[in-house]
Amino acid sequence: MFIINCPYCGERDQSEFSCGGEAHIERPKQPTELSDDQWAEYLFMRKNIKGIQFERWNHAHGCRKWFNVVRDTSNDKIHAIYKMGERPPLK
Amino acid sequence: MLNFNSTIKQKKTYGDIKIEEIEPIIKINLRSKKREFSKKIGKILSILPPTEANTSSGNEGYNLLWLSPDEWLVYSNNKNQSLKEQIDMEDKLFDEISKLNQGAVTNVSDHWIMINFKGNKIYDLLSKSCPFNFNEFKRKKGSVAQTLVNHVDVILHNRDNNELNLFVRRSFSEDLWLWINDSARFM
Repeated sequence: MFIINCPYCGERDQSEFSCGGEAHIERPKQPTELSDDQWAEYLFMRKNIKGIQFERWNHAHGCRKWFNVVRDTSNDKIHAIYKMGERPPLK
Repeated sequence: MLNFNSTIKQKKTYGDIKIEEIEPIIKINLRSKKREFSKKIGKILSILPPTEANTSSGNEGYNLLWLSPDEWLVYSNNKNQSLKEQIDMEDKLFDEISKLNQGAVTNVSDHWIMINFKGNKIYDLLSKSCPFNFNEFKRKKGSVAQTLVNHVDVILHNRDNNELNLFVRRSFSEDLWLWINDSARFM
């Protein structure tokens, strides 16, 4: 359990949120030109790294807004939170 | 609309805590990202939609709760408002906002059940199964919070010192009501 600082509502318990997986995955511009492997790569393959990961989160039981979180998956420490459409503060 | 069929219809007192369902009152959900929206709401309801998170604005007739940066909930303070008055208000909002593509107006009167809590221990009661930190909420009159109580989504509105309104979806209301009553017995 940890606290997430929703960019709209403020600090809330993690149980109010749901994780939407890895962030900043771009949809291919011409999906019809991709092979099955390339499409599967876009659709299913995620990094799932141990360490700092860029994720999408949704304040499902609050304002219902999506935002991005930079989280260390090894210890749940949150390094940054930024709104959808904003540039990631860390690289 | 307004064919109310409440699941609770009860009023309970447990020591210092008083719990009561307040109905029938009109509740309207508003959504918009347009600039003109605030002015129009101001003209119709004489209240401006709050832009600050977790706050509300209100007057004698209505309360306007912040739900998200582009979503608000209006509810009436007056249980005795006639059906005609309620429909007129909804029509006005609909004509000025939905019809002119300024946003969305949805009547959610039958969707939300409003339960009024009064007493010194209401926050202790809710804290039994709520992850929300009430420290700031209970100090500030008019505060709004959307959170979970006993795993059920709720909207909380701080009405006054030791008084709050809790909105719960109709389908979950009976379950939450039973939990509240069960927990309040031990306060």
